[in-house]
Amino acid sequence: MFRTNMCVYVLLLVIFLSHALVAQSLFAGPATTSELPLVAKKPALPVAKPLHQMIDQQIQQQHQDYDKLASVRCSDSEFLRRVTLDLTGRIPSIEQTRAFLTDKRPAKRTILVDQLLGSPEYARYISQQLDVILMERLRKKYIDVGAWEEFLRQSVAENKPLDQMVREILAADGSKKEEQAAARFYLARDGDVNELTRDISRIFLGADLTCAQCHDHPDVNDWKQDHYYGISAFLVRSFVFKDKKKKQTVFAEKAEGEVKFESVFEVRDKTSKGPETTLPVVFNGSKVPEPAFKKGEEYKVKPAKDVRPIPKYSRREQLGAALTSPQNRRFARTMANRLWAMMMGRGIVHPLDADHSENPPSHPELLETLTDQMIAHQFDLKWYLRELVLSETYQRSSANDLFNGKDAAELDDAKFTHAILKPLTPEQFAWAVLEATGQTAVYRNSLKKNLTEASLRKKLLNYERQFVSLFGGLPGKPAERFEATADQILYLSNNQAIQGILSARAGNTADRVLKFPVEQPEKAAAELYLSVLNRHPDQAETKEVASLLAGKTSKTRSELVSDLIWALVMSSEFRFNH
Amino acid sequence: MRCKYACGSHESLTRRSFLGGTAAGALSMLGFGGMTQVEAAKKLASQQKQVVVFWLSGGVSQLETWDPKPGVETGGPFQAISTSAPGVQISELLPYTAQQMHHLALVRGINTKENDHGKGAYIMQTGRKKQPGFAYPYLGSTFSHHLAPPKSPLPGYISVGAGGSSAESTFLGPRHAPLVLSNGKAPSNLALHSSMTEDRDKLRRSLRHKFSQRFEQKRRTAHTEVYNQSFDQAAALMARSDIFDFSKFSDKDVERYGKHDFGRHCLMARQLIEKGVTFVKVGHTNYDTHSENFNFHIEQLGEFDKPFATFISDLYDRGLLDHTLIICMCEFGRTPRINQRVGRDHWGTAWSVALGGTGIKGGAVSGKTNETGTKVIDREVNGGHLFHTYYQAVGLDSTEEFYPNGQPIAKADPKAEPIKEILA
Repeated sequence: MFRTNMCVYVLLLVIFLSHALVAQSLFAGPATTSELPLVAKKPALPVAKPLHQMIDQQIQQQHQDYDKLASVRCSDSEFLRRVTLDLTGRIPSIEQTRAFLTDKRPAKRTILVDQLLGSPEYARYISQQLDVILMERLRKKYIDVGAWEEFLRQSVAENKPLDQMVREILAADGSKKEEQAAARFYLARDGDVNELTRDISRIFLGADLTCAQCHDHPDVNDWKQDHYYGISAFLVRSFVFKDKKKKQTVFAEKAEGEVKFESVFEVRDKTSKGPETTLPVVFNGSKVPEPAFKKGEEYKVKPAKDVRPIPKYSRREQLGAALTSPQNRRFARTMANRLWAMMMGRGIVHPLDADHSENPPSHPELLETLTDQMIAHQFDLKWYLRELVLSETYQRSSANDLFNGKDAAELDDAKFTHAILKPLTPEQFAWAVLEATGQTAVYRNSLKKNLTEASLRKKLLNYERQFVSLFGGLPGKPAERFEATADQILYLSNNQAIQGILSARAGNTADRVLKFPVEQPEKAAAELYLSVLNRHPDQAETKEVASLLAGKTSKTRSELVSDLIWALVMSSEFRFNH
Repeated sequence: MRCKYACGSHESLTRRSFLGGTAAGALSMLGFGGMTQVEAAKKLASQQKQVVVFWLSGGVSQLETWDPKPGVETGGPFQAISTSAPGVQISELLPYTAQQMHHLALVRGINTKENDHGKGAYIMQTGRKKQPGFAYPYLGSTFSHHLAPPKSPLPGYISVGAGGSSAESTFLGPRHAPLVLSNGKAPSNLALHSSMTEDRDKLRRSLRHKFSQRFEQKRRTAHTEVYNQSFDQAAALMARSDIFDFSKFSDKDVERYGKHDFGRHCLMARQLIEKGVTFVKVGHTNYDTHSENFNFHIEQLGEFDKPFATFISDLYDRGLLDHTLIICMCEFGRTPRINQRVGRDHWGTAWSVALGGTGIKGGAVSGKTNETGTKVIDREVNGGHLFHTYYQAVGLDSTEEFYPNGQPIAKADPKAEPIKEILA
């Protein structure tokens, strides 16, 4: 599972981080046992630089003025908040914040990253983000959404290689119990060949081929109608079959059927050569040939009324392999770019589904490197995300003095000179609000021995759902850009669900803040800021809180604390991952 | 739910977004500075011009509405009927609208040369062809910007059952992005929580503002600007929640408009106009009739005709038509050729739009298509001409320019001019 150079790296890590790795059996296993000799046997193999260093090098090389423009390394509190949100989907608790800010170990950032990557919340949050990429918040159809989510969560938890995960999804037809959940990708789209073709090319190949359905793409010269139908040819024989006997819906397949296509423009111009057909093919790869059967011998199970046909040769079965094959670099490239955008706030190719020659990547060489490394590391998701967040590029501050001056225009997001403000995802926002107000703490306390990631989530799931419905966009059209809308604000301002968690309740933030004696307003201010913004207040901020609280007692004081929490939670410092 | 027979590229139809978010790229590129023409706005505010767009998404057939061709091979099965405007005939599928024709003018000579849903919609709503690297504001945002009184607590652009993207306002800023009443419902959570007082709410908002400003000092502010504005908009909506009380329509009104979504949306639009909202867009969908064109039009127009006509007549009765411009349009028309599935396909080459109300000469007709409807043979116009016309109908100078970041940008295509013959 780990390549040789990774083993060397892991060994180095062991030296530095032995205690963090105890929990990481994943790392510890291969480093200490079977693969070790492999390194010794191949001393000539050049040990490549870790990816995070290559990232920094190539980001800096691309722009001559990079050093002059780049933000400083972010502060510990900025890093703590950012990476905790990015890898586990919530802000750190006040205890975690205090612990990290007082930690004096030089490698504490790396230690933190490994802790986060080993947490159950990592598997939950990253699988949710993969879910949004794959399903675009489509609603339930045929397949139980909970089972699908658990399939993804489990896959991320065991760090299943991304390409394998995608092959499993594209191979699943829903007929076998153990892979039923994975068939959601096809079935939630009702098996619609055009919808699937469009989504597969957008999600996995970085190409929105929608317009190439009726003719070669009018705006993108690279994208031809052949590309569209090459992918569609894998799927054209498949259809949704409702198995009445087994009471399940599956994605079945026939043994015959070709795609036929012609350009609507050529027909109109009367220059058409007539309909064309193509064998299945992923972009400019090689066409997938298929065996010929004698007429009448194409099926394992012949089609009949209420019977699911099973052809001897399945076209769709070839799709996963063709898509993720090393010959098709587009897949690795698109995944590398999507995950980069998830962590860094912007794709190297941007928009993510517009990867074509007229929309070049901001850092072509880097994108090549990321793609190579993604393939070389066998689509190791955890390794890849780890490398991204360990880079200096990721760890730059979002603040930059130049934003105030005339040079601001030079600070193009595409140069990655600063951390891009990322609006919290709906899931992140929900969990951040719950953590900041102390609602999570209340439930952590009440669950006591039964506290697990899953039991805690169950308690708070309704909040997450409300945030997703307000901030998540429409099914099939998830919010991509930042959308701040009045109905969201009305919810955050006036809804009982939010108003209810702001007021003091044993163990929550308001309660903790109110416990400080009136004559210690600076302690109240620290508690507030560490709970909500994961940083200490500066002097002016402490003074401000003190003067607001001065002379306030009982109910007025309690109301004011709740209002302060609200105001901090609604501030842009909170709304964005910075 | 996507229409089975449609192309699937209706970018603008279903996007839920409620007042707000916007393409940050466009904002950061252009900024907000230097474009509030306060004087002009003040003058217009006193005249209170308002605009309603009926957006028939998918592309309604001009042959089954404004430009019937009975008796020719392309004409389809429907007859033309006389209207309240002398000499003007429209399709028999619009009998109620025919009775309001003296308030409406027709533009029958449109050639937008565009058969793609997304691009056609863009032309019709921005008056321009889509260009890479630059985004023009949509007309809802444009008219909100020009006509809505400055500091008005009302949203300037409300979309009812017509979707709308927060990116529509581009450089005019999120204040002029559409407020989308999804599913035709008033926004939720409009009232303060029972434990809150107005003073407390005011204090916490001002604290929020202060905290945000502090954070934003050294950071790029395109997104944060949008975020802050959404708080202002929410506050404004709370202050004018009365405009969203749609519970008081009389049974008689509901009967007159029809008990379907579109009828209700028209009633809502009437109330919004009465309460002073500057721009309202009302949507009616499912006109992308590649198959069964005639059955679909019987059904769709059967629903559209009465509420649309009732809306016009109500606005007239209440004296609102004097200062309200009505535009009924879509992304393109439909092919005269009837295809093998008894459908009509996309046709931006020769089609029609109807306008009415303020600044419009009721009963006027501009442009003419040939006998089979395949070509414009008189007074050909495009999206640019229509934009000049909308501007002039509400008393704006369409030859002026916007100045986002000091760059002059013509408000309407300088190569086109207004369709004078339909202007009052």
